[in-house]
Amino acid sequence: MNQQRYFEDVTEGAAIAPLMVPVTPVQMFFFSAATYNGHLIHYNETWSTAMDGHPGLVIHGPLQIALLTRMVTDWIGPRGRLISYSVQSRGSAYAGDTVHCTGTVERKHAGDGLIDLALRATRNGRELLIPGNATVRLPARPAT
Amino acid sequence: MIPPDVRRLVGTQIHAAFGVVRRQDFQRWAAAVHDRNPLYFDAACARAAGYRDVVMPPLFLKEVTRGVINLDDLGPDGIPAGIGQGHVEIPLCPRRMAGGEAMTFYAPCYDGDSVSAVRVLAGVEQKRGRRSGDFVLVTTRTSYTSGAGVLLAQAVLTSIRLQAAAARDDL
Repeated sequence: MNQQRYFEDVTEGAAIAPLMVPVTPVQMFFFSAATYNGHLIHYNETWSTAMDGHPGLVIHGPLQIALLTRMVTDWIGPRGRLISYSVQSRGSAYAGDTVHCTGTVERKHAGDGLIDLALRATRNGRELLIPGNATVRLPARPAT
Repeated sequence: MIPPDVRRLVGTQIHAAFGVVRRQDFQRWAAAVHDRNPLYFDAACARAAGYRDVVMPPLFLKEVTRGVINLDDLGPDGIPAGIGQGHVEIPLCPRRMAGGEAMTFYAPCYDGDSVSAVRVLAGVEQKRGRRSGDFVLVTTRTSYTSGAGVLLAQAVLTSIRLQAAAARDDL
């Protein structure tokens, strides 16, 4: 079980624990299967490169987003709640790349436990893949 | 580049779908994300965190109402073609890439819950790329409700439609 984080523990401007995931063709294939996605750019290298102009198999945008939000749900702990997220796809990543996910606390909303996060995923720590943000709710620390 | 019949669809419902949440399906999704969050796998942990059972990963909601494809309906790229699947066709821009998405969640989902999704075409916009020429942004808004009529989540998705020869990084 992930450790619980409480609203009082968080400070604006602080970084949240990053997540770095090297994405393999096997993981991509299972993600295609789990999402019923037949798009050839994710598992047919000949199509992806020769027909679609990519340098390799394209990591699914939804997988990148799922990794980014996994970083968030890992960080908020079991009693935290993901309220919303918004992301933009700005680049492509390919099988064998590492998706680097980072985030910072932008704002705490006193009174309702809501926290706004700025999120960012990059390809191998360099090219921007996804800028975005999320709002989460953290529980208040129980009185001792 | 945008066909008149597609422009006429803006503001209208383009797809409705129904599905049932299945634990094994959402656990397979979580496993594929390499997300072993105990809330999705361990009922005791989920109950201790305020849920009534293992809870569905929120992002899996988009998958619950996915229909059953007919292999004969697939385009050459492996994606179902046609408005019947909720896809908007831009013939001059046959290649699709994810543009962006936003979701707001209102209630958790559990194994056995039914989900209805209603998708509205929110906008279709032609844009000019830096080097790749014109491309099209297609935006949809989807509302997900439970069998009891409770609003579960709302999603706004934007897809980028590229001309055949355009490169994604040229936008």
